[in-house]
Amino acid sequence: MSGLVVDKNKADRSRKEAPLTRLIFIILVVVFDIGAFWFIRSAVNLGFTQLVIIIGVITVMLNLIFLIPKAYPFRWMAAGLSFLILFTIYPILFTVYVAFTNYGDGHLLTKEQAIPLIQKVTYLAEGGKSYTWTAYKNDAGAYALWLTDPDGGTFIAKPGEAIRPAKPGDPGVGEADSSGIPTSLDGYQRLNGLLAATDKELPNIKFGIEGEQGVQIRSPSEAAELQIRYVYDEATDTIIDQSNGDVYYNVEGTFTTRDGKTIKPGFRAVVGFKNFVDFTTSPALRGPLVRIITWNFIFPTVSVLSTFALGLAIAILYNDKDMPFKKVIRSFLLIPYTIPGLISIIMWRGMLNPEFGVINRALESWFGWAPAWTIEPIWAQTAILLVNLWLGYPYFMLITSGALQSIPSDVYEAAMIDGSSAWQSFRRITLPLILVAVGPLLIASFVYNFNNFNLIYLFIQGGPPIAGAATQAGHTDILISYVYKLAFESGGRGVQYGLASAISIVVFLIVGTITLFQYRFTNMWEEVSENA
Amino acid sequence: MNKKWYLLLVLALLAALALVACGGGTTETAVEPTAAPVEEPAATEAAPAEEVAAPTEAPTEAPTEAVEPTAEPVAEATEAPAVVEPAGTLRIWADDTRAPILQDLADEVLAAYNLELVVELKSAIRDDFQVAAPLGEGPDIIVIAHDQAGTLVDNGLLATVDLGDKVADFAPKALEACTFDGMLYCVPYATENMAFFYNTDLVETAPATWEEVVSVGQALVAEGKTTYVMAVTGTTYDAYPLYTSLGGYIFGKDDAGNWNPEDLGIDSEGMITGVQWLADGVANGELPADWDWANNHALFETGEAPFIMAGPWALGRFREAGVPYAIANFPDGGYPFAGTQGFFISAQSENVLLAQAFLSEFIASTETQLALYEVGQRPPAYLPALAEVDDPDLIAMAAAGENATMMPAIPAMGSVWGNWNDGVVLARDGKQDAETAMTEAATKIRDLIANPLTGMVNVPGSYQAQAGCPGDWQPECAVTAMTMGDDGLYASGPFSLKAGDYEVKVALDGSWTTNYGVDGAPDGDNYKFTLTADGDVSFSYDPATNLLEIVLP
Repeated sequence: MSGLVVDKNKADRSRKEAPLTRLIFIILVVVFDIGAFWFIRSAVNLGFTQLVIIIGVITVMLNLIFLIPKAYPFRWMAAGLSFLILFTIYPILFTVYVAFTNYGDGHLLTKEQAIPLIQKVTYLAEGGKSYTWTAYKNDAGAYALWLTDPDGGTFIAKPGEAIRPAKPGDPGVGEADSSGIPTSLDGYQRLNGLLAATDKELPNIKFGIEGEQGVQIRSPSEAAELQIRYVYDEATDTIIDQSNGDVYYNVEGTFTTRDGKTIKPGFRAVVGFKNFVDFTTSPALRGPLVRIITWNFIFPTVSVLSTFALGLAIAILYNDKDMPFKKVIRSFLLIPYTIPGLISIIMWRGMLNPEFGVINRALESWFGWAPAWTIEPIWAQTAILLVNLWLGYPYFMLITSGALQSIPSDVYEAAMIDGSSAWQSFRRITLPLILVAVGPLLIASFVYNFNNFNLIYLFIQGGPPIAGAATQAGHTDILISYVYKLAFESGGRGVQYGLASAISIVVFLIVGTITLFQYRFTNMWEEVSENA
Repeated sequence: MNKKWYLLLVLALLAALALVACGGGTTETAVEPTAAPVEEPAATEAAPAEEVAAPTEAPTEAPTEAVEPTAEPVAEATEAPAVVEPAGTLRIWADDTRAPILQDLADEVLAAYNLELVVELKSAIRDDFQVAAPLGEGPDIIVIAHDQAGTLVDNGLLATVDLGDKVADFAPKALEACTFDGMLYCVPYATENMAFFYNTDLVETAPATWEEVVSVGQALVAEGKTTYVMAVTGTTYDAYPLYTSLGGYIFGKDDAGNWNPEDLGIDSEGMITGVQWLADGVANGELPADWDWANNHALFETGEAPFIMAGPWALGRFREAGVPYAIANFPDGGYPFAGTQGFFISAQSENVLLAQAFLSEFIASTETQLALYEVGQRPPAYLPALAEVDDPDLIAMAAAGENATMMPAIPAMGSVWGNWNDGVVLARDGKQDAETAMTEAATKIRDLIANPLTGMVNVPGSYQAQAGCPGDWQPECAVTAMTMGDDGLYASGPFSLKAGDYEVKVALDGSWTTNYGVDGAPDGDNYKFTLTADGDVSFSYDPATNLLEIVLP
């Protein structure tokens, strides 16, 4: 109701907008459009179709918002909407798209990038001549080449002129230097190989008569009668090998002949549900997936509960006004939160090293025994949970001490008068009130830890390995680290963005279902919104 | 009111388009003319002929800077050579060892060739390059190890290199490491391999066998001089010489001398024996239970272990630690992996020819290779430079690596490392015996390397799209795959096809590698058949004769 009124007011105001303001808007929009158009054009050239569409959508949207008076209220959201589309919706759509392609090693380039690369390939036809070359340049910037063939014959080649034999000392040809190459040609200055190579156009210049087979520079030491090897036919989407007439067809992003010869590089192509089928039919699913999923639930559950419990306990302890050195100790307790996780995880890995770690050496000298943190599965999991407890409790300590302050003390006084014990007060007053405030954060923390790749991977790469597993997997691997091994590391077949995307969609469905279920089950949103 | 408003909008859009159209055109064409006329007079008058190339390469700032020379042409022109814009620019990505030395060489390159080197320090060169190069934002040259280049070549990101006559000046093994599909892709500058180190205070002569290593080590431990028999710095690469001394290997080679991914040696007898040897050593406390790289180097430096297998990267820290060491060949004729560091050219570079020329002129020279050697302490791959190296440690290391195998740079290697490591770890930690652990590791790797379609018999042809395949001539399409009947014959169909001419062939394992044409001839001609009316077609294939029978309606 109130929103409607505001809309009307704003719309009214916009009609009265000063002409100058409108002009400025138009100029800004035009400037933006120019930028967007330029960006889209270069993206089209590179073949980034999806990005083009997204930027196009954003541009049209912004134009509409700023140029149609009725869209006035949306102006306040324009930036937010653009970023939402660009940084949230686009990556999601892109991931979904990639899941249906073979994007990855061997198919890294787009088709638009791969074809020019393939077309660059040249070959020397049978009987074609090959020379070593020296370049000369005249004042007008034209080039001439001094060619030496393998038999020692020497020639002069210029663009548009026939290649003619020549000897050093001939008319118009300078004297030979120690390697038998003339120091100059008439009107031309000799260039050293490196200097000649600074001209990017040089390899494209054809030396010889127009329309006939000429000589082109192939490399610093070779100029030859090169011919383009592969010709791309857009209509049939095939490539024809000029050297032997082979026809290459586009088979899922690789140009392949009927008898299996292929041209590198391949390019990205849509392959349908192949990645999903691969994932479900590969040994990956027959393997340790059940074990990994089980641990993937234990790890965040225990982590959330333990960090919350410890954080709350400390917060309650320091909520006591009589606690001495409160501020100093609390500052120290915050330290784990201030050290970057990257560093503390590696530090912990070192300290928990069963052979050389400080902790284990100390334990061994005191008790004669220390847990084999990185070797025994159960201890590795314990170590992960302990490290995560260390990393995570300050967060809940901060949150809950804030929430504790907000509980009115008269509630406790009333409870005390009614004869409630300290435990009863905590159980019946503190915990329910705190949970209302931090409930959503607990779920957020669960979801975060569900995908806590950093900790798992930096600590011991998901190890120790599971004996007898069908794929490379460890006892502390969670889904996301397992997928990483499978799609990017040697658990699989090199980098496979397509497969990774497909699996991450599966993981998303799992996490999404859990989160939805938790919210429904705990009714936390409702409670929070009622309180807000 | 509204009409005016939309008119304005249309006008604005038109203006935008016009501006863009002009803008695009002018920026591309305008730069050269403005740059050239101003620079050329100056260059031709005073600058030596070699700077003539400058105008075509004029950077975009040229017009503004060049205004001054026209104002005072004479004074500027005479001093021109010193301030002339570099004729070209090469961007190089290198890691923290190579970047500083290349940076130092940049001035020399600028002076000698008027070429600007932009050296950028990167830690994950391969990964960054893989992302940047397709976008056209990568460097012209990268410095990486050869085993990282395999996938880059597969992805079409590297250009070939031409060393001309200088090919003969390079160590053949280093060149071999840089050769993919018969083409040379890098200018190698260093090779590196591990060697066997022993503490000369504790051990008098280098042990010739692993038994000797154990007996000498056990005696030292018994006397209380050391804690362990040997330090172990890793599970795979670092322990490889031990495995090879017992006959273990990773991949075999085919007749042509290429790595053969079908012949995997992770579960070879030598490998299993080696892993078991290590596991036993850990079990009875002779070897450390944790093979952390840094900690185990420290064990050798502090004299807690008398032996270690280490590479040239450890020389610096051993010398610093002051541990008395000597370098020997591996016991029992073991040989290490060797890697080659080299300069690779980006296929997406605009300066491929320049980069090639730079590499063959400047990098393939004794001075540069020696300068790189001074910093990296790796034996140069350039033989004239290698001849000038007289560091006894490096000569000993080279001797230990004489029979080294180049690290396989085939894509299948990517599936090996992690699984290999897991197998060794399981055996070391006593979770499995070496045989089970390594056999399982090998199975995992074979599953990954092997063609998932092995065993498939298919009839690819021009009918497949109608049969429900994504396209025609697809040997991997499951829709038309044949199934074996009780009679030992494979059959597929019936497929309902439209009237027309068709061609087919038989292909095995979902690829064209093995295929049979008319008369069962390998790589033979296509079978042809014609349907005069729409109808059902089925196929029958006899694996004994490789003959295909086409059952027409």
